[in-house]
Amino acid sequence: MAIWLVIGGVAVVAVVFILTLVYYYNRIRVLFNRIEEGWAQIDVQLKKRYDLVPNLVETVKGYAEHEREIFEKVTEARERMVSGSREERMEASNALTGTLRTLFAVAENYPDLKASENFKLLQEQLEGIEGKIAYARQYYNSSVLMYNNVITTIPGTWFAGGRRKNEFLEIPEEERRAVKVEF
Amino acid sequence: MERISFRDEIARNRRNSLLLAASVSAILFALVYTLVYIFAPEYVVLAIPLSVILIILYAYGSYRYGDSVVLTATNARPAEGRQYQYLRDTVEGLSIAAGIPPPKVYVVESDEMNAFATGRDPEHASVAVTTGLLRELDRLELEGVLAHEISHIGNRDILFMTLVAVLVGLAAILSHIILRSYRYGALRKGRRERRGGGIALLVLAAGFVLAIFAPIVARLVQFAVSRRREYLADASAVELTRYPDGLASALGRIMKRNLGEMDVSEAMSHLFFVDPNRSPLDSLYATHPPMEERISRLRAM
Repeated sequence: MAIWLVIGGVAVVAVVFILTLVYYYNRIRVLFNRIEEGWAQIDVQLKKRYDLVPNLVETVKGYAEHEREIFEKVTEARERMVSGSREERMEASNALTGTLRTLFAVAENYPDLKASENFKLLQEQLEGIEGKIAYARQYYNSSVLMYNNVITTIPGTWFAGGRRKNEFLEIPEEERRAVKVEF
Repeated sequence: MERISFRDEIARNRRNSLLLAASVSAILFALVYTLVYIFAPEYVVLAIPLSVILIILYAYGSYRYGDSVVLTATNARPAEGRQYQYLRDTVEGLSIAAGIPPPKVYVVESDEMNAFATGRDPEHASVAVTTGLLRELDRLELEGVLAHEISHIGNRDILFMTLVAVLVGLAAILSHIILRSYRYGALRKGRRERRGGGIALLVLAAGFVLAIFAPIVARLVQFAVSRRREYLADASAVELTRYPDGLASALGRIMKRNLGEMDVSEAMSHLFFVDPNRSPLDSLYATHPPMEERISRLRAM
């Protein structure tokens, strides 16, 4: 009689353990996939931006040929977006944001350029993409937070199997809300 | 973002939608039965298959085409063209932040400032804004309003809210038919010899009660469902934009400018960002929480 009680007890504990294991394994997987999906969203926007920038540079060149320095900076920042770790690529993208701001500021000095339909369209598109990158980064970071929370707290950390915390994508200083201005 | 309350909300919405569909099916059955009894008592056996067919049509129709009904009834047109580029970009960006596929974007021609979301799930969702809203709000305010609507999609409010809209409209039409049919039925009976029986009287009375109460009950459901949802969508919107002041100042501006006389069926008022038809009985029967309260909650975030 007693032996059956022990066996039953062990069986119940084993079942509970396995169910918990399955739950946390899946949960961690799902949250990890969410991060990957978040990155894919950012990647899509980075790629769009990468494709648009040469167009913009060509358009500006047509009106402001001698602003060579800024073109080089833009092109250089654009190239850096292609390779490296996520943090590096985001950093390059942020640098590109900065150089593009300078470019648009320079464009202010060329009324013909500013009036060009093509230029306006490109500017709008780039602004749209920049906004989407910000939103995508927010999704990415919130996914990272959820993932990190699960794998660093009890009991999730028991089932995390030594998985490391993911890094947040830093928000560049100039993009913080306080300085968001109307275009 | 995924939180406990968020998952709870999705589960609650699914349960509510099912419950609503079940209750409506029961009421529909009773109504059809009464109608057949009045119009053609000799075919009363047909009432059951007839109402089953109607229920299936209703359930499938409002699930599948509820959003089209709402979009058509509000004269929404797709937001195409360059002047809506910013609107489309913002909607897409917010949907990325909310982790849902980008919804379709529509515009409603109206000087009143308002917006709504509809659809059956995030994969089949639409967001509509009025031209007045686009004209009057600045970008941060517009972002706040859009985030609120995107949150309705993310929290799976849209299916239930759309189902309620279709139901309220349907209840009004059906009760109209049934009340008219009483007059017609009474005339017909008058010409024939009177058929007695307590059961007949009972069915007639029940039908009458239903016809009177169905629209009222439907409206009550509409009032009950909306308020908590609006606060929750406001809170989720802030989570998306991280900027409560945008939404709060949008509400403030709308409160000052809107006349509350948008040409929208009462059946759909609960779908909107703010109540499109403001009446003097506002606080009592409002489908929306008072805007002052929404603003002060946002300011406190």
